[in-house]
Amino acid sequence: MLQHGPLLERLLAGDFICQVSDEDAFRHLSNQQTQQDINHYLRPLNRRLVSNDDNTVFFLGYFDLNKAAREQLSSQFSLTVQSLLPLLEWLQLVQETLGRDSALTAGDTIKLQEFVLRTEDNQSLRQRLNQLASDRFFNSQSEQLDNQVKLIFRRLKEHGYLLQPHHDRQYYVVTGKIDYLIDVIRFIRDEEHLPVDDTPSQEALL
Amino acid sequence: MAPTDSGIASNLFNIGSDRLALLGKHHKALMQGYLDGFIDETAFSESALKKLIAARILWRPDEQQPLALRPLVSELIASMVADENRRQINADVAEKLEQIRNRVQAYRDAQYKGDYSVAELQLQRLTEHVHDLSGQFEEAIDSLWHRLNSDFGFVASLDDKIRENERAQKQLRRLLDGLDLLDFNELIELSEGNNHLRKLLVSQLQNQLSSHHSSLLEVQKRLVELLAKFRQQQARSMLIANMAAFLRQHPKYQPADYPNRSELPALFNQAASIVPQAAIALDNASDRQSLAELVRALPRYQPVTLPDTGSASFSSVMVDDEIAARQQALKTDVENFYLRVIDQGGKLSALEYLEQQALEWDSEIWLYQIIAEYQALPQDEKQMFAILRDEAPASSMNQLLLIRDISLSLIVKAA
Repeated sequence: MLQHGPLLERLLAGDFICQVSDEDAFRHLSNQQTQQDINHYLRPLNRRLVSNDDNTVFFLGYFDLNKAAREQLSSQFSLTVQSLLPLLEWLQLVQETLGRDSALTAGDTIKLQEFVLRTEDNQSLRQRLNQLASDRFFNSQSEQLDNQVKLIFRRLKEHGYLLQPHHDRQYYVVTGKIDYLIDVIRFIRDEEHLPVDDTPSQEALL
Repeated sequence: MAPTDSGIASNLFNIGSDRLALLGKHHKALMQGYLDGFIDETAFSESALKKLIAARILWRPDEQQPLALRPLVSELIASMVADENRRQINADVAEKLEQIRNRVQAYRDAQYKGDYSVAELQLQRLTEHVHDLSGQFEEAIDSLWHRLNSDFGFVASLDDKIRENERAQKQLRRLLDGLDLLDFNELIELSEGNNHLRKLLVSQLQNQLSSHHSSLLEVQKRLVELLAKFRQQQARSMLIANMAAFLRQHPKYQPADYPNRSELPALFNQAASIVPQAAIALDNASDRQSLAELVRALPRYQPVTLPDTGSASFSSVMVDDEIAARQQALKTDVENFYLRVIDQGGKLSALEYLEQQALEWDSEIWLYQIIAEYQALPQDEKQMFAILRDEAPASSMNQLLLIRDISLSLIVKAA
């Protein structure tokens, strides 16, 4: 267990571990034996390892769902639900601004400066960014594009969706937590039978 | 070369080399024609155009159409520059096989007649056909790998990439079907009793084709993987766009209460964080050495001795009318705040009040003054107000509490 000390600390602090955020730790976590060891160790803390369906991201959940745990999960869930729309809009905005033909996935790199430059001269992108920045999730008070973008990216870093490899360089890598977000959306869609398609319609295929 | 063929051959040689030279002579204009899809006739002289048409390099597909490169020439260029948009794959094996059979027959006939120079020529042609067959697969495999390795980067959109990938998979299936047409038992029979033929048709061809076969299977595997990846990306983009649209249309949308289900979905089992804290422990004798070093490394406190200064400055208090007026105004505003608390009876946040009344004070100064005013109240009046500080640690490392806001409420004594 000793060699997993730093990893346990990150997990306990609520971090999501994926291939991008910590490659070594992720490799260890993908090992069944290590998973068992860690779960055994976490048992007295009422924690256990949880992963998404594809096992691309790991985090800690409760072992025993007592009342206190349920309460915490409820408040966590409402935070997650609140964050859905701003995160989705951000994903769309990045995809459109950078002219990518597919949605962001774990490992993709975003250069902040490029994003700012492309938004600057485009009134409609500028307006959408403005709106997004003032959303409660990002909560920017600034009118300046540069500050808004920096704040948005900083918040996403705090929430674990982005990783900034060098503290003083403004480029970010998308982490596996984005997979988690997609899984959450897909789950809600399936559970609630929402009219939200993710396969091209027949006409589009023809 | 057979003597009877020499006349035709030299004629062929002359025409062929002349026509190849034409390609070189007009290379820039022809390449431009390849890129544009038609030929700019003004770039050529009348006679040059005639020569190019006669050489079957250019043609006019239709009376109304401009001149264009013949498909075979376009194909040659596409293959030379690995232009995957235009490169063709030729998966026709049956025709090649037929030619090989005929050549083997002709070769055997010539040998039977004892006409060794003709036999030699036929063997030469047969070798070419076998190499063509193998080269055809090699070219196709090269093209497929090229497309695969560039992630189908030669088309722009994801939808196009998916279509291109599907097209490549169809080509690949045709190639594999073509390989299946080759029956080695037949080839063994064809080459029976002849060392040359056996080497050419059996050992050499079999070697090459089996390596082509495994390459094709590898490409097929990778194409399927890539297509799955493309489809996944496409599904993800659509899910994001459609879900965002749904949430925008239904701003009040609230999903079911998953966290309180008896069977909790794993995705929503996200525990609260625990940040382990540690402090220095002195009970472990072996650690003393390192602890002592840490203590020694601490910066030492140096008492600052202040030089004696004259106390004259204290005697005359600076009074600036403007500052005094502002001070008074701040005091009045704070007093109004206290009065509002008394009027209202409930809890009132200092910063909200500041915003409501559109007062111009800096929020920090405002909070200071409210605390100061509270401290300045007589003891019994102090007890009438409940002051509640909204504070948080400066960071997870720094336990210094920062006051964010103050709420004041009146305590009504039940007397």
